[in-house]
Amino acid sequence: MCCSHNIEDRNVPSEQPSDAFDIGTIKGMKFFDPHVHMTSRTTDDYQAMADAGIVALIEPSFWLGQPRTGVDSFKDYYSSLVGWERFRSSQFGIKHYCTIGLNSREANNEALAEQVMEMLPLFMYKDGVVGIGEIGFDDQTAAEEKYYRLQLELAKEAGLPVQIHTPHRDKKRGTQRSMDIAIEHGLNPNMVIVDHNNEETVKEVLDRGFWTAFTIYPFTKMGNQRMVEITKQYGAERIMVNSAADWGISDPLAVPKTAALMKLNGISDADIELVTYRNAITAFAQSGQINEADFITAIDQSTKFEGNSILRGGQQPRINKSSIIIS
Amino acid sequence: MNTAELKTILSDIIKENITDDAWVWLKAEIDKSNSFGINTAFGIMPRKTGKTVIKISSSQQELLNSVRPGFTVDSWTADKLCRVWLLIEYKEADKDKYFKILETLFSVAEMNEQVALYSALPLLPYPELWVKRCAEGIRSNIGTVLEAIMYNNPYPAENLNEAAWNQMILKAFFTEKQIEKIYGLDDRANEELARILIDYAKERYAAGREVNAMLWYLVKKFVSEEQLNNMKLGDYRFNKI
Repeated sequence: MCCSHNIEDRNVPSEQPSDAFDIGTIKGMKFFDPHVHMTSRTTDDYQAMADAGIVALIEPSFWLGQPRTGVDSFKDYYSSLVGWERFRSSQFGIKHYCTIGLNSREANNEALAEQVMEMLPLFMYKDGVVGIGEIGFDDQTAAEEKYYRLQLELAKEAGLPVQIHTPHRDKKRGTQRSMDIAIEHGLNPNMVIVDHNNEETVKEVLDRGFWTAFTIYPFTKMGNQRMVEITKQYGAERIMVNSAADWGISDPLAVPKTAALMKLNGISDADIELVTYRNAITAFAQSGQINEADFITAIDQSTKFEGNSILRGGQQPRINKSSIIIS
Repeated sequence: MNTAELKTILSDIIKENITDDAWVWLKAEIDKSNSFGINTAFGIMPRKTGKTVIKISSSQQELLNSVRPGFTVDSWTADKLCRVWLLIEYKEADKDKYFKILETLFSVAEMNEQVALYSALPLLPYPELWVKRCAEGIRSNIGTVLEAIMYNNPYPAENLNEAAWNQMILKAFFTEKQIEKIYGLDDRANEELARILIDYAKERYAAGREVNAMLWYLVKKFVSEEQLNNMKLGDYRFNKI
């Protein structure tokens, strides 16, 4: 995926088109990744994301790879999403939002889940919290259902969108149940983003009026070639893509790479913009917490630098990665 | 500090900078002074007051400076000022309960809330209660949080012990802050700090990095002119501290 390989490939005449990611394809485009777990990522990722045109992102609350054993671990995690991680992101000129929620896996520890539920109101009204998420089903247990329902009520009360994680196993039925329950609790499908869709779930989710999100994630979720086909078939309305990049083998450039692949496959710029930027903003801005004027794009960074308190807080200097010298 | 006078000045500034609806809401929150409600009120403040930079007259500025030297609300946003005001107006007579309420706010604060909380330190009652919290804030790596403690904030100079004060100054140099914005530099200058700063300058020199000129300002009281000039040129041999 390295750029120098890319240049070499283009210099060598070849019958086969190169599959290297040419960032030039999407030059000047802006992207919004509405699902990415930056806590698990490095500063190199932040820089690459900014370079590829990602101007803002949403970090949903999730499972950290192993279960937490005390409520304070949750508290510190939520605090970091609105504090430290938000700052880290700002250093790269990327506006950081988050969704707050109790994830489905850890909902199964009921004693702990009760304490977490009591704490959620401390965080869900915070500035930059654009929804309740990611919540929903994993194993589809009774405990998962209980805390999913309770959190739907919280979202309703706070007027916040809901970001739903749909299960890996028994996905189709899990997705249907998630939507049924949201409707049962009186949520408008327009306030619900159903995530991790695939070819099997997309039609019903769209037909029922929910926002339909796709996670471009190698091996276990969607590939972006499949995503191109879905966009060709279903159009761009209410569809969005994200990377869900986390501690697993995943790709924080999934959104710009998908945009590039769409462009190479003849999908219109207008549709690409909807799927990789605009739809996510429209959906989550219903929280009242997203202001595009807050996005600091790489393009106008120099003009906005002066007097911008976030950048004043410590814009990260660039280092020359290809040099053997570290000064 | 004349607290009553300070509150009057701040409430006048606030009234001129937020809508009538927001003012009515804020007053009601203070009248309620509910220990759970303050978390929400503090959090949703920008939704009620907006985030525009406040306007303040020069006479208000002068007045504020005479009541609380070293403190300013210049270039604050409306939500920040109202958050600070909510903290100082909050009605809780019990010291321990007040402390707990603020500690909760600190422990779950998002970035801008942290800035407001640390900016409020010089106005809060029971100044002795916030010393550890202030030292904790200095350990932060969030630039804006550090600036809230370091810039135009008389609390550190008035309340931190020497070790914590020195740590803050050193951190300010490390994080490339504008040292001249720190209140109480002259009053709190001390020999131990000068020694640490000289060590730091030496280290910078050895690494081929520049030294912030303000460093010498804090050192000069404790060394001879000759020593100072030598050190500026990279010669630390005669340093006696």
